[in-house]
Amino acid sequence: MDVQRLKDNFAHVAEQGDAVALFFYSDLFVRNPHLRDMFPIGMSIQRDKLLRALGQIVARVDDLGTLVPFLQQLGRDHRRFGIIAEHYPHVGASLIATLRHFSGPAWNDDIEGDWTAAYTLVAKVMLEAADEDALTRPAWWDGQVIAVERRRFDITVLRVQPDRPLPYQPGQSVAVETMARPRLWRYYSMANAPRPDHTIDFHVRLVDGGPVSPVLVRTTETGDRIRMGAPVGTLTLDETSQRDVLLVAGSTGLAPLKAILEQIAGRPSPPRVHLFFGARTRDGLYDLESLSKLASEFEWFTVVPAVSEEVGGHGFSALLQAGPGSVRRPGSWFEPVPRTDGDVEYGNLSDVVARHGPWNDHDAYVCGPSAMVGHTVEQLVQLGVPREHIRLETFADAQR
Amino acid sequence: MNSPDLPAASEGTRRLTPGELQSVAFARAALGRRGFDEEQVRNFLTYVEREFVQLLSERAALADEVNRLRSQGAKGASNVMAPEDAHFQAVRILSQAQQTADMYVADAERYTRELSHEARLHREAILSDAKGRAEHILEDAHRKAAAVADTAVRATEQTARPVPHQGGLPDTERHTLELEREVAYLRTYSDVYRTHLRSYLEALLRNVDEWEASERASLPR
Repeated sequence: MDVQRLKDNFAHVAEQGDAVALFFYSDLFVRNPHLRDMFPIGMSIQRDKLLRALGQIVARVDDLGTLVPFLQQLGRDHRRFGIIAEHYPHVGASLIATLRHFSGPAWNDDIEGDWTAAYTLVAKVMLEAADEDALTRPAWWDGQVIAVERRRFDITVLRVQPDRPLPYQPGQSVAVETMARPRLWRYYSMANAPRPDHTIDFHVRLVDGGPVSPVLVRTTETGDRIRMGAPVGTLTLDETSQRDVLLVAGSTGLAPLKAILEQIAGRPSPPRVHLFFGARTRDGLYDLESLSKLASEFEWFTVVPAVSEEVGGHGFSALLQAGPGSVRRPGSWFEPVPRTDGDVEYGNLSDVVARHGPWNDHDAYVCGPSAMVGHTVEQLVQLGVPREHIRLETFADAQR
Repeated sequence: MNSPDLPAASEGTRRLTPGELQSVAFARAALGRRGFDEEQVRNFLTYVEREFVQLLSERAALADEVNRLRSQGAKGASNVMAPEDAHFQAVRILSQAQQTADMYVADAERYTRELSHEARLHREAILSDAKGRAEHILEDAHRKAAAVADTAVRATEQTARPVPHQGGLPDTERHTLELEREVAYLRTYSDVYRTHLRSYLEALLRNVDEWEASERASLPR
């Protein structure tokens, strides 16, 4: 196999962008109509994924040290789509046909030989990883929604009972497919440490215009079926560490951190844990009630809620809670009533966290929207938290 | 209720075009309700759904056609195009169908995104309106109560004046005066507050009823 010739040929073909993937899938489906059902109706995201994966494979084709783990993960990931060994030759045939079509006169037997060898290798590594994975766990887990709690118009907490136990590390996530939107998978973190009854909570936030999240948030009912892939993710508790723990959660980024918190609570002597839970507005603190309950239960745990787009001292709820005495009145016989929302901090989550430092001797776990995670990590590093003591995860942009 | 901009759901032969998706316009909801006219939005969704179903069955028919052509080609029928050409043609047709489907999906997603965005803006406007109203109620109650209290105090002072003491009112009388002022203030304050709150809560209840009714009507099945 001539690696450079293969790379050059792919660079030439890839210049034609989306048309390449479009041809590939059409060729695949014309030859094998039964495969069409394994894919979603809208294919544009699928085509992007294909081109990206091909690009990554070709870029690393002479670096087996990184290529092999990538392909192994790819092979394992494909199990949940129902891809099995007999599908691989079909894909290979359509891939070669596509490359031949877009190479034009540059195509010859040598290049075809390069690609055939490369694809054979890719398929072998992917299949072996998939087969090995199949020895220890199923390709997917089906489950049933057993509780739906709508916490806000755009946030819902789902409790799912998997048909068989789904082992995972707190902080990990799974790809989820709802039967209302077949073939569309979205990653959600388990929001609890594993329970004896194996139930799993997901915190789902509606993304405007997304095809999946609005269905999960607004129309899911108890009894609905969902399918889950194998757990993935590295935002997990460093159990070897003796340091205290700082958890920083933006919105539904709370889910994996709550799982980690529950894991810590199960330890014989938990470290001190501070959880900062941020949202744009007060009603976005959708799980504060449960967190406050935990905080009153465990003396080692402190929760600090924060909102970024409301200002202290205004708002109807503050006035109502404070009562009429909070209206300034000359010569009042009332002592000023302390504002009972003083437990919520105002400002950007990263600034609120910084105000409560120092954190330099803590392990930090950060999860939320990417801007929030970026700012928080930046500030923590500035405050002296070693980067290697920070673990983070941002919302996958695919959580629509 | 259908506006002229909305394709009528009963026209069976018409086909949905991307241009239509981009230019569809809904009437505002009837007076007293927020958002777009529900019936129009529902009709439109039905229309889009039917288009999708049709598209899917067209694609299935195409696949059948391809198979038929290929088996014909395999039989070596002379008046049929070469299998290779038939294959490319099928790939081309399927690609076109797929692109159309992708465009519909993208348009529908953009449309719901815009709709949700507007709904969010409405929600924020309603919330800040409510907050403004609440503050207004409190201010109003305070203003009226303070005025009543002042009047009460002046009235008491005037009754007290005919019996002058050395340099002013004795402590007990001053205390009584202050209490009367407070009582007057509190009565009026709670009165005004109650009235405002009652009418506001009634309005809120009406909103909730409306919301419930429209959500029930919009649920599938």
